[in-house]
Amino acid sequence: MARIIDWVDDRLNLSDVRHFIAEKGVPIHTQKIWYYLGGMTLFLFLVQVASGILLLLYYRPSADEAYESVQFIVTQVEFGWLIRNIHSWSANLLILAVFAHLFSVFFLKAYRKPRELTWITGVLLLFVMLGFGFSGYLLPWNELAFFATKVGTGIAGAVPIIGGPLMRFLRGGDDVTGATLSRFYALHIAILPAITTLLVAAHLLFVQRQGMSVPIPIAQRLKRGERLRQMPFFPDYILRDVLLWYVAVALLAALAAFYPWELGRKADAFAPVPPGIRPEWYFLAMFHTLKLLPSHILGIEGEVVGVVGFGLAAVALLLVPFLDQRAAREEPSPLFTALGIGGLVYFVVLTIIGHLAS
Amino acid sequence: MTRLSTRFAARVMGLLFLGGVMSAQHVSAQVPVDGCVTCHAGLTQSELSSPVSAFRTDVHSERGFRCVDCHGGDPTTQDKARAKDPARGYRGKPRGAQIVTTCARCHSDAGLMRTFAPAQRVDQAAEYATSAHGIRLATGDQNVATCASCHHAHGIRRVKDARAPVFPTNVAALCASCHSDPQHMKGYTSSGGASIPTSQRDDYEKSVHFTALTRQNDLSAPTCNDCHGNHGAAPPGVDAVSNVCGTCHAVFAAKFATSAHSQIFDRACVECHSNHAVLTTSDEMIGTSKDTLCWTCHEAADDAGFVGAGRMRTSIESLKTALAANSDLIARARNAGMEVSDEELALAEVRTKLTQARTEIHTFDPAAVDQVVNEGLKALTAVELAGNQALADLQYRRRGLFISLVAILLVVVGLFLKIRELNLRRQ
Amino acid sequence: MPGRFDRRGFLDSLLGAGFVSTLVAMAYPVWRFLIPPASGEPVTQSVVAAQASQVKPDSGMLFKFGSRPGLLVRTQDGELRAFNAVCTHLDCTVQYKADTSQIWCACHNGLYDLSGNVVSGPPPRPLERLVVNQRGEDVVVSRT
Repeated sequence: MARIIDWVDDRLNLSDVRHFIAEKGVPIHTQKIWYYLGGMTLFLFLVQVASGILLLLYYRPSADEAYESVQFIVTQVEFGWLIRNIHSWSANLLILAVFAHLFSVFFLKAYRKPRELTWITGVLLLFVMLGFGFSGYLLPWNELAFFATKVGTGIAGAVPIIGGPLMRFLRGGDDVTGATLSRFYALHIAILPAITTLLVAAHLLFVQRQGMSVPIPIAQRLKRGERLRQMPFFPDYILRDVLLWYVAVALLAALAAFYPWELGRKADAFAPVPPGIRPEWYFLAMFHTLKLLPSHILGIEGEVVGVVGFGLAAVALLLVPFLDQRAAREEPSPLFTALGIGGLVYFVVLTIIGHLAS
Repeated sequence: MTRLSTRFAARVMGLLFLGGVMSAQHVSAQVPVDGCVTCHAGLTQSELSSPVSAFRTDVHSERGFRCVDCHGGDPTTQDKARAKDPARGYRGKPRGAQIVTTCARCHSDAGLMRTFAPAQRVDQAAEYATSAHGIRLATGDQNVATCASCHHAHGIRRVKDARAPVFPTNVAALCASCHSDPQHMKGYTSSGGASIPTSQRDDYEKSVHFTALTRQNDLSAPTCNDCHGNHGAAPPGVDAVSNVCGTCHAVFAAKFATSAHSQIFDRACVECHSNHAVLTTSDEMIGTSKDTLCWTCHEAADDAGFVGAGRMRTSIESLKTALAANSDLIARARNAGMEVSDEELALAEVRTKLTQARTEIHTFDPAAVDQVVNEGLKALTAVELAGNQALADLQYRRRGLFISLVAILLVVVGLFLKIRELNLRRQ
Repeated sequence: MPGRFDRRGFLDSLLGAGFVSTLVAMAYPVWRFLIPPASGEPVTQSVVAAQASQVKPDSGMLFKFGSRPGLLVRTQDGELRAFNAVCTHLDCTVQYKADTSQIWCACHNGLYDLSGNVVSGPPPRPLERLVVNQRGEDVVVSRT
């Protein structure tokens, strides 16, 4: 192994990189456990890429063949059921990890100066991951997916001014058809991965450049001259990271075997909407909020108000580092902590209510 | 005459001759001079003028036939007396038996028909004479249907023309125009002495045959003429019922012929299935409860028929239940992602057996029904086995998982110990 | 001291063995996944119905097309034709009748000609035709 590294080093001069890795440290403090979420998210994303590429060898993106090709993968291809179930479950775990990573970074105020760009790329990655989830969900072309997409893209139509064209753009027409499937397929395997590559590269570059952020109280102590113990990234931190990744793999394998994803029934555009149709859990809070809103608020349609509200919330989320001036000054910022708790509670409660309502 | 005047006269004669020829040609190039049409078209009484417009779309008109060909007379004149002179062959409006003779003059002439429609039959008039209508007409009853009643007189269309009154989907309404009219049917009785009912069309419209014909576009489905005959229309005798239904329902007729009921039933198929209101069949028609057809005769519990009916119904229900349960099982396995296409194929075969069992009922032999049902049940045991095996395979995957989990656990524990060891070394 | 248990080395080799075995446990399914399965394509689209030499002229045989039965017929002239063997009347499975060179449904005596058209009996619609191609000795039947 060492000989290979030396051979490459002779040609590409890896001394900077080797020095960087050897010296890279992770601060040790009570909140360091949250550091692992970033790596976990990345790992689960790589699992998605690998399992996704494998599925790509057999999947057929047309309304006539999509369902049958998934059935083929799950019944005829050896371990097809395993790869498919890992992909479906890892998608959910990935989004869970993304949210956990977001909230932990938020509460630790790691978004504050000088890490605003890291935060922005991260929030954009959140939107991209939700896009992956939404587009991927349609690909098996079963009843549930079909109608969930119909409802979801219908909500996009509620965006003021551009809603109509936006919905037509998403659906590839006026209704959800094979054209929608083609579009979502392109989004899922090409467009979003390209965007993700750029964002993740930037995100990781920033993190490596700036090192790990520490909670504000500890930052204040550091300013006063205290020293913080560091854990070497390699091998200590990496070993812990890998341990957690192995636990994740075990969890995925168990989920694949005990709670396999159903095939469902093939989508039929002319069948009635199944009762209790609802989106995946990560959209449930938003979906149920829209359901709870009254039909008209101050003369504007309730759904429009909801959608605009979500849009404003998304923008606010992106701009948090610039809005939270106290954190930028490395001062405690209880207002934003409270807002964060409020947001988290709202999200969890609405998700639970939304789940129980159906 | 001078030479000039001779030449002049010749020219004039030539011109006149030419004019005469031209005018004659001009006349014959038009629709042939038909005094009948010219006169009748202008009449105010609709029953006298309507045949003119109707005949324009008539199939005979297409072939070059004119009024004279059926009615006789002189078409070249518009003088009514001369046109309608019997001495010139005028036959007038045919009535009653005259209608049949008028049509049969051509349509029973094989040599003539060969020049127009070689494949068409030429025995319609002979058949008609054997029909209930024909027999009554021969006694002088002018109330009955003749050729013109069904085919009409002047706007006759081909049978295959969907607008023809004798096109299959129009036949029931056509027959009903007399047979559903109580006034028209007053006084007529059937061979048994009872008056002929007028409910046939209403009954027929409840039937599966009507639905198949009008709503499912199945032109092979029967209407009045398919069971009663076209030109030789008469109710089939009770002895003939099984044969008539059997022309299409051959398998049922054959099985029924082997059964005890074929000797006992007066009206064969009609006893259970009715003649006009042939409704969709269901398994509820067989059995031992009060609402079944069997109960009509087999009420007593010690009656062999009662026992047999019960057996047949139970047998069929057992196959239905087993089929439903196994269909459900296979659907669950399929939904979970298991390969069950062989089993789905087998289920289709069992559904075939169920259909065949229902056919077998017509032997009224419980043993025969049981045989088919048992074949179906036997196939289902294999399906059930495979279905449960498929669900069990899901379990097998979990066992495979445990093994890999052990390996993973090993690594996790190893890593954990390694980390601890590193920590200790650092201190 | 001789015989002293080298704990660190043991741990390292155990960990190494663990890594390798889990890597193999993950690589094996992936490798098997990559190998194309015997059926090649989703069977609802295309199926190898038979070997060409198995089907004699003026004969027919049933084959499995996904979860439905199919009928493969070789006419007297040697032409191969395939149909969805589900009778359009009440879904019984049809069969080839050699004495009249027609397709027959035993349930209610439905008869079809070798183009799938109804000749007599209760079936309301023709049999669905399937596309037949030959790939070497394989007779491949597909939907379109």
